Amino acid sequence: MAQVIQDKIIDENLKWSQINQDVIRSMQAPGKAYWITFAVCVAMFLTAVAAEIYQYKVGMGAAGLNNPHMWDMYIATFVFWIGMSHAGTLLSAILHIIHAQWRKPIYRFAEAMTTFSLMTAGFFPMIHLGRVWNLYWVLPYVSDRGIWPNFRSPLVWDAFAISTYLSASALFLVIGMIPDLAILRDHTKGWRKKFYGILALGWRGDDRQWRNFRKTYMLMACFLIPLAISVHSIVSSDFAMSIMPGWHVTTFPPYFVAGALYSGCAAIMTLFICLRYFFHMEEYMTKNIMEKTTKLTFAIAMVWTYLNLIEFASTWYGHNIYDKEVLISKATGPYAVVFWTMIICGSVVPFTLCFQKLRRHMPTMFVVSLLLQLGMYVERWMIVAPTLSQAHQPHQWDVLWAPVVQWAIVFGSFGWFALLFLVFVKLFPSVSMYEVKELTFHLQHEAEEEKWLADQEKHATPEGAREKPVTGRPGLEGA
Amino acid sequence: MSKYRLLAMFDGFDPAIDTINAIKAEKLAGVSVDDITVMSPIEHPDIDEILGDRPVNIQKFTFLGALFGVTFGFFFLSSAQASFLVQPQGGKPVIPFPSNFVLMYEMLIFFGVWTTVFAFLWMSGLFRKRGTLYSEKLTVDQVGIVVEVEEHQLENTRAFFNDHNALEIREEKA
Amino acid sequence: MSFKNILENFSKYRRGAEEGGHHEYEHRWGMAIDLNLCIGCNACSTACYAENNLAVVGKDKFEKGQAMHWMRIERYWDDADAGRDFPEQGALFLPMLCQQCGAATCEPVCPVAATYHTPDGLNAQVYNRCIGSRYCNNNCPFRVRYFNFWSYYESSWPEPLNMQLNPDLSVRDKGVMEKCTFCVQRIRTAKDKAQRENRAIVDGEFQTACAQACPTGAIVFGDTMDPNSRVTKLWQEHEVERGPYTSKKPKQNAELRGYRIFEELNVDPSIMYLERVRETEV
Repeated sequence: MAQVIQDKIIDENLKWSQINQDVIRSMQAPGKAYWITFAVCVAMFLTAVAAEIYQYKVGMGAAGLNNPHMWDMYIATFVFWIGMSHAGTLLSAILHIIHAQWRKPIYRFAEAMTTFSLMTAGFFPMIHLGRVWNLYWVLPYVSDRGIWPNFRSPLVWDAFAISTYLSASALFLVIGMIPDLAILRDHTKGWRKKFYGILALGWRGDDRQWRNFRKTYMLMACFLIPLAISVHSIVSSDFAMSIMPGWHVTTFPPYFVAGALYSGCAAIMTLFICLRYFFHMEEYMTKNIMEKTTKLTFAIAMVWTYLNLIEFASTWYGHNIYDKEVLISKATGPYAVVFWTMIICGSVVPFTLCFQKLRRHMPTMFVVSLLLQLGMYVERWMIVAPTLSQAHQPHQWDVLWAPVVQWAIVFGSFGWFALLFLVFVKLFPSVSMYEVKELTFHLQHEAEEEKWLADQEKHATPEGAREKPVTGRPGLEGA
Repeated sequence: MSKYRLLAMFDGFDPAIDTINAIKAEKLAGVSVDDITVMSPIEHPDIDEILGDRPVNIQKFTFLGALFGVTFGFFFLSSAQASFLVQPQGGKPVIPFPSNFVLMYEMLIFFGVWTTVFAFLWMSGLFRKRGTLYSEKLTVDQVGIVVEVEEHQLENTRAFFNDHNALEIREEKA
Repeated sequence: MSFKNILENFSKYRRGAEEGGHHEYEHRWGMAIDLNLCIGCNACSTACYAENNLAVVGKDKFEKGQAMHWMRIERYWDDADAGRDFPEQGALFLPMLCQQCGAATCEPVCPVAATYHTPDGLNAQVYNRCIGSRYCNNNCPFRVRYFNFWSYYESSWPEPLNMQLNPDLSVRDKGVMEKCTFCVQRIRTAKDKAQRENRAIVDGEFQTACAQACPTGAIVFGDTMDPNSRVTKLWQEHEVERGPYTSKKPKQNAELRGYRIFEELNVDPSIMYLERVRETEV
């Protein structure tokens, strides 16, 4: 029996009114610790703003870039944030259409993470532009001079893909939140009631609304999955569509997608633990859900490791001297420390996730999740920099370590992301209330069904064939 | 003669489903199962089943939106590329299919998602005013059934709901 | 208008470099650089600085790799094990400038179409359109595009040096990519003059600044479409042809020294180099 309880995702006897209360409690009255964190994040963000203002004024030289290294940490960070955004889609869309129930208590903050990391990522292509004030030239607007952006450029694909992804994932977040906003409208007071009243768009929970809601949610999930995969494939095209050694790699699109899901899952683990402790969500963010997340992370880590090895192997056997030189210099050259950090954090550390004791030990998981993210960050950097350091033309070989301006902006981007997230958890429910209700409902009926089956076996009499209890599986037959 | 709207609240889905079944069996005079509205804190597939065929048409909008996105995408991109400032680059054709396909794919999804959302806002009747009958308990754990009856059936309907363990009955003039 | 245009010219718009490309070329400017004649004196580079308003960045920024030398002399040394008395003996010079590729990899990656292939066979860079994404240089195997990392003009030409600036072309501000143009201002002038005089451009009528300044005449500039130009003759003499890379012909004749750098990347460079013959081989 103990095993059964342990396998439960959450306690199915949670009162629905209790769910409302718990989530609303997590949103109210920020404490001292919250405001201190908030202030730290603002300070981080302002550091980045100051660095960007300086760079804007004097030019990109402030970022220490030079002729072979036209791109550096900005692009790596851009890829990192885009990658992080993929886990939200994984949890909310992919696990939604395969009916994985355990996603329900945690997908909301993962979706918010998607939107916010996209909002962070979106800054970087702008920051790295030499003439950022002409940014809008990338957009296809009608001009009397008949000038269009260059639709062949992967950077324009990026602009299309990211704007599509940002709008789609933000809409997915908002639409999926409507029933929860209605709950908040009904159970809060003052300005919040007005605020949620507007956002809830008149949701009453009638059958027509629910039917259309489910359909919409499913359709959007179906759009988001190919979209998320295409977005990171397109980001990988920034590299794969070039002819540079170490960039022009056929396996880059799946490699990037795997890396994206990987870093995103690690980020979910981090935020999961933060929410669990700081917002006292132990009943919703249970260790069982954490276990499932870590298992998923481990699987993706192995996919990533495999694709990484495949890339090395095909470079090695392909025997293109340019590619091979870059690969060798990655592992043994000036960036070797970074390379081996990536290998250890990305491919060795995830093996800690194989042990149940460790999986259920939250402080360990917190450290592991941060290490995984470190590994994934340096992976992005290892893609960008070494190729530029050692491309075709030997005269232009160079080694570059980013100066403080780049670090400040990258550092500040974490502050900005945290800032958005902090605002989100206080303004919006970070646990999806209505879906947790569906989950408890489902679990209750599953338990009843089990009991009924056990009863049937006990007295297997023909007249005992009562009507089977309603096996409500809300949200599953949506489409 | 004026019409009245009644909202009966039930404790959970089981009594509500029983009530709907009774309405379906025409135990409540003047009310057809097609006219009732069920309000619930979560979606319950059995309710959909009992209420019968109530179609959802959002996917048609989605399809049209996606189709528009992909065709518009092609013509938009190629007419932009073939405009009078033709710029051949990198030995590639002026209208390159591979990159246009990538962008068409994105535009398919972009328009598909937006039409889905607009169709949802429209089809689900979110902004439609349908009386003020509502209870805040609907967003906690109770299930509500709304029926519309003639004035002379009011007593009858109230009694019917009370028989089926309604927790609370609210009413208003339609 | 656009639809009609697409329908009428669709096959033309679908023609890539392999089928001859979109353009019906008027000229295809090209070069031949004889490395045997190059003495690494940097006169070409200096001439380029003067002609094209290139910013002088100073020692610090040069060391950081932020220099703006459109024409640079790359120095390579032979193997140290080659058994030379002095390592300097193995020095090789490679004048490196934009190769004006026929299928340039820098062009399609620009998000705003600031660089494109002209009907002159040049790889044009539109400064006004550039937003500085720097993707083009990342995708250039020769790394010959230079970015204005700073507002170099502020300190590059202190009074009265600003008087030496070439009025035929602009001075670039920060955030813009620039590169060798084959002295497009001289090409323009020559074309205009020829048009006014109602004649074709004569080979040798004008030269790029680097070709003009080279004391040994290692750089030959001209129109590779003109069958009588010096550059065409040199290309033919060394059996180097334009177009996509097929495969290296086995060298029958030691006199055939012509090659194009990174030809195997299929970028179709417009500059033919003539290999240097080393004393060890002689």
